[in-house]
Amino acid sequence: MNKRIFIRRSSDNGKSLVQSFTIEARPEFTVLDALFTVQHQHDPSLAFRCSCRVGMCGTCGVQVNGVSRLACKTRLNQIEENDVFLSPLPHFKVIRDLAVSLAPFFEQWKKVLPRLRPRDADAEELAIIPATSAYAEHSEGKRDCLTCGLCFAACGVLATSQQYLGPAAINKALLRVLDPRDTAKSERLEVVNCSRDGVWRCHTQFNCVTVCPKGIDLTDSIGFFKRNLLFKGGSLDS
Amino acid sequence: MTPPRILFRTYVVPLVGMTAFWIQRVTGLLLLFYLLIHVETVHHISGGQAAFDGAMATFHNPFFRLLEIGLLLVVILHALNGVRIIIIDAGVRSKHHRKLFWALAVIGGLAIFIAGALPMFLNSVVRR
Repeated sequence: MNKRIFIRRSSDNGKSLVQSFTIEARPEFTVLDALFTVQHQHDPSLAFRCSCRVGMCGTCGVQVNGVSRLACKTRLNQIEENDVFLSPLPHFKVIRDLAVSLAPFFEQWKKVLPRLRPRDADAEELAIIPATSAYAEHSEGKRDCLTCGLCFAACGVLATSQQYLGPAAINKALLRVLDPRDTAKSERLEVVNCSRDGVWRCHTQFNCVTVCPKGIDLTDSIGFFKRNLLFKGGSLDS
Repeated sequence: MTPPRILFRTYVVPLVGMTAFWIQRVTGLLLLFYLLIHVETVHHISGGQAAFDGAMATFHNPFFRLLEIGLLLVVILHALNGVRIIIIDAGVRSKHHRKLFWALAVIGGLAIFIAGALPMFLNSVVRR
């Protein structure tokens, strides 16, 4: 089948422009295959990012017809519209064409202190986390974040405030706060409880859940924090 | 030109949360606009019965009766969508938010709207 691919590209004068390319797409083609086809057959200067090509690295995020997706996980035959419009992820600085800098995402990620802070960093014995613990109960399905930044790009709140932590960072904070080995709970809670940039900024739009390639229930993580901060003063013991 | 059904399936169905967010904002603004008119009309009571009746006479025509039915729809959408957000905030796993939207804001809202709008339409517009 023939598909028309419209790509928002950067130009020398700093403004973006849209170029269209018609490609012969096989039924199993993904958006990433389409980008490689355009690069090989039409314009070798087309810039985009990718690495693993199998949805594991989270590098190839682009906007496909206005919705943030991983290019390697989105098949062209899933897109019902005849034309496919590709643009760089919003809320990020464009490096060139479809390649963006994820720096704002990782700036927020760093604010929740994502590294585990164990009581005894030199302990040789393995920690045992009971299956009945709050961590085991609430972390299932939330540990698979690729840090692809799609939730950050899709979040409506980040369109108005780049200071908002964003869904992925809040989810990471939840995993750390629930972790019985962790010792930096109060520091993390202080960050997520910030009235201007923390969990209270979320408008429950579910865009993050919709676009997450791993299907992580990010809004549930934010809601979990809100309920616990409101009713239990931040004690997250289930 | 992309057909509306494809646009609906591409943007409204997957992005139900965002659709609900915009419904809540738009209906909220419409309710604010209605409240301003309401307060402006009701304040004529202080000028006596004649002044109030005069102010109310503006609204006694089929056009405003139809707008009244529209107001019912706006109130129902805003209220039921608010209930949906409260249920989600209360801890119902957010994976159910799509079902909640279709069940509460669309099916429930439509049922209440028809139950309220039909008698309003028959009494206020058709029989006048």
